[in-house]
Amino acid sequence: MGYFQNIKDTITTIFEGMAITASHFVRKPYTVQYPDRIDIRIQDTLPFRYRGLLDVDLEICTGCLACERACPIDCIVIDADKNKKTKEMVLKRFDIDLAKCMYCGLCSEPCPTGSIHHTPEFEGADYSLESLVRRYVKAPIPAYKPIKGPETDPEVAPILSRGLKYLDEFATPGDSK
Amino acid sequence: MRKFADSLLNGGIFDGMPIELGYVLVVAFFAFVLLNFIMLVAGVTSWLERRVWGRIQSRIGPNRVGPQGTIQWLADGLKNIMKEDIIPEEADAPLFKIAPYLAMMGFFATFAVIPFGDGLVVADLDVGLLYITAVTALVVVGVLMAGWASNNKWALLGGIRSAAQIISYEIPAGLGVITVVLFTGSLSMQSIIRAQGWEPWNWFMFDNPFLFVAFFLFFVSALAEGNRTPFDLPEAESELVAGAFTEYSGLRNLLFFLVEWGNLYVIGALCATMFLGGWQIPPVTENPFLLGLLQFITFFAKSYFIVFVAMWIRGTLPRVRVDQLMTLCWKYLTPIAFVNLLGAMIWFIVFPHGFLPMRIAMVLIGGGIFLYFLSRVMFHLRRAKPEMHLSPLA
Amino acid sequence: MSTTSIEIGLERETPAGLETEEMTLNMGPQHPSTHGVLRFVVKADGEIMRRAIPDIGYLHRSIEKISEKVGYHGFMPYTDRVDYVSAMQCNQGWAIACESLAGIEVPRRGEYCRVIACEFGRIASHLISVGATAMDIGAFTPFTHALREREKINDILEELCGARLTFNYMRIGGCAWDIPPGFIKRATAFLDAFEPLIDEYNELISFNKIYTERMGNVAPVSAELAIAWNLVGPNLRGSGVKYDVRKDEPYSVYPEFDFDVPVGEGKMGEVGDCWDRYMVRMDEMKESCKILRQALGGLPEGPVVAKVARTFKPPVGEAYVRVEGSRGDMGWFVVSDGTAFPVRTHIRTGSYSAMAIVEVLSQGLMIADLIAVIASLDIVAPEVDR
Repeated sequence: MGYFQNIKDTITTIFEGMAITASHFVRKPYTVQYPDRIDIRIQDTLPFRYRGLLDVDLEICTGCLACERACPIDCIVIDADKNKKTKEMVLKRFDIDLAKCMYCGLCSEPCPTGSIHHTPEFEGADYSLESLVRRYVKAPIPAYKPIKGPETDPEVAPILSRGLKYLDEFATPGDSK
Repeated sequence: MRKFADSLLNGGIFDGMPIELGYVLVVAFFAFVLLNFIMLVAGVTSWLERRVWGRIQSRIGPNRVGPQGTIQWLADGLKNIMKEDIIPEEADAPLFKIAPYLAMMGFFATFAVIPFGDGLVVADLDVGLLYITAVTALVVVGVLMAGWASNNKWALLGGIRSAAQIISYEIPAGLGVITVVLFTGSLSMQSIIRAQGWEPWNWFMFDNPFLFVAFFLFFVSALAEGNRTPFDLPEAESELVAGAFTEYSGLRNLLFFLVEWGNLYVIGALCATMFLGGWQIPPVTENPFLLGLLQFITFFAKSYFIVFVAMWIRGTLPRVRVDQLMTLCWKYLTPIAFVNLLGAMIWFIVFPHGFLPMRIAMVLIGGGIFLYFLSRVMFHLRRAKPEMHLSPLA
Repeated sequence: MSTTSIEIGLERETPAGLETEEMTLNMGPQHPSTHGVLRFVVKADGEIMRRAIPDIGYLHRSIEKISEKVGYHGFMPYTDRVDYVSAMQCNQGWAIACESLAGIEVPRRGEYCRVIACEFGRIASHLISVGATAMDIGAFTPFTHALREREKINDILEELCGARLTFNYMRIGGCAWDIPPGFIKRATAFLDAFEPLIDEYNELISFNKIYTERMGNVAPVSAELAIAWNLVGPNLRGSGVKYDVRKDEPYSVYPEFDFDVPVGEGKMGEVGDCWDRYMVRMDEMKESCKILRQALGGLPEGPVVAKVARTFKPPVGEAYVRVEGSRGDMGWFVVSDGTAFPVRTHIRTGSYSAMAIVEVLSQGLMIADLIAVIASLDIVAPEVDR
């Protein structure tokens, strides 16, 4: 009896499997034809939290070194001195080695102004390791000093509001139900 | 074909040279045409397979080279030709080099007897089917030689598997063929087709239950002989890396793939010839050229339908194990084929000229199975509620 | 080798005069079916294996040592790499270990977020496992179908934590981010679409006759053998032992959820064969869907992370916690000397013992069966070596 049962099982299960694969002939393929045959850039479809390449807004960097301390692989290097006369922090160097970065997001968390943050960009391929080191400080510049009340400088204000929005988004309470 | 050659020879083109040389030239010319034709067939089959597979797997498949990726096969072929032809240091170089050509010959020679139309056949041999069975055995020699000469243990396992598999499955395949031969009394491909008609109930597949079973027996055995899933053990990617072809690169590797896809077409053509009425079409026109074209298209469509089913099966089924392969052959297919042959003999004695009610009943049963199949497809679509995309293009 | 290995050693008898030379095959580290970089030295007699000796160490990245250099917070992204197929549970293991060192209470919403993330991770991991098993058996289509669903889960987790593979979602004391707006709706929609697809997948491959013949009755592991060789997770449950860390040593908020622990029943052969191990994973995905529905429905209000200092310095002591990873009981051992860096960390993973048992199971099988055994044990190379 097992002999004919085997034959029957083989035929029925293969029949069923063929029906399933046949139903896939009319289903929509799931392929996204990156990068050219898509309607919108992939970067624009990514969720806000997407952890792509790091970016720094130097205008609002306070030079607090929190990101450098948080980074587990030391891919961020910051040199910041205190100017003796003006009591201001001066950024001399702010390098991010994207070749080392593992996109863990631990640096953007403690940033008080949202200066260092992840962008939705992920196309980071380059021809040499050297060019993957992003040097943000060209010449020493004073660090941003937070002031009480709303920001008055018209150049900094939009950047700061974006940075703070970045921080806010991460603290959304979410929907309860 | 023979007549055509004679007419060419008498036409005065070859005046002043020995008649033998003329024949050789004509044959060489036809071989060249056919070789290009099978390159095209194998290439298009490879593209089609990837597209069919793609859709089954919720992908698209190659769609970039040429319109809808139709000349992807050409790009792949060129890439393979331009690659370095690596011969391993420890390999048996002469055998290693000759193996792909042997395999290639094995399937190329079958095209000589494949009837694409009423007159469209290179050589309508009286022993057509026997000839095909014989020359396809050369593929085994090629694969086994490749496996042995590579001096690679995985390749050796693949080669041995291939030999065991193809030789075993010759038996059920042969018995399936004999069932057909029983009804036609001829091994010639053309006379098998002429014994059938253009209507489905005049096809051998629906002639009687025994031929219906024989069709499936032959189809399964042919899949095994062509090393197709679920019997693709010789190259069993996840087990033997690439089986017998592990050490091959460049053009030689390409030739093996050509054999695989070309063989797939041969399977389709054989099934179409023996069971699906071949090039038979209703008498719609008197124009011999148009008629030939229609016959060619009919034959091609039928054989490509079988090819499509083989691709579809490849997209559905897992691979059997090597002992299960033998179990399937010796404990299931071969005894069933023998019983089936016996039944067919009895049927032939009882109804030597066919039995029309049975034919119509068979067609109706076939249609019923197809409708049930469609209902299952609809059931799966309703359950999964997927996004639909009816067009085969993407 | 223990005595159990001798008991099941199926030395195949060769008729006199037909003895053949034993062939040594190298399966891996570059072989299509050794997921990642595994290596087996196969002693074979033609197609039949005498023994397959596992060789490990091709993917060793000294993750345990790294923890001594990067501190407690900084080690979290490295835990993603312990088992990169289901990183969430590794995150959770490390977080719970550190929390129990320092006695930190995680907010309930944080725990729920963790459970949601972990169960999505478990489904994603099992999808890879069952898909890869089918692919190793020779059917490619189920693999792409499984990956298609996994991509949808990745999209959901990407929304939750910004990454698709190495999530780094959890923090000591809770989770990094709360669930984003609209997340529950999208996650529920996914579950609604996914559950019928499990049935479809089963009909496509799990009950396929060729597949059951390949997987059923192959390399059965009895309950005693499984316990003796320290199999965990789905591999242990496949042998019919109803043991799940989530049930038997509950952690997090798992006791609040109602779910079953599927075990192997030997439907296609002996209890504990490859098909049972495989099927346990299919059933577990359904259970995970059940947990997810409950967790998404009963999400409490409140913060997701407790207040933990940036420089986390736990008191002197040690902790060993266990979480149910996708590949079973995952042990996290951490020793603290009161500084910001752990003195010693050790991770006990399920793939390691699964790798070890291959040597016993492989005796007398065919080479094609070895593939089925490796696939059904769901060995993930990075988890073996760490």
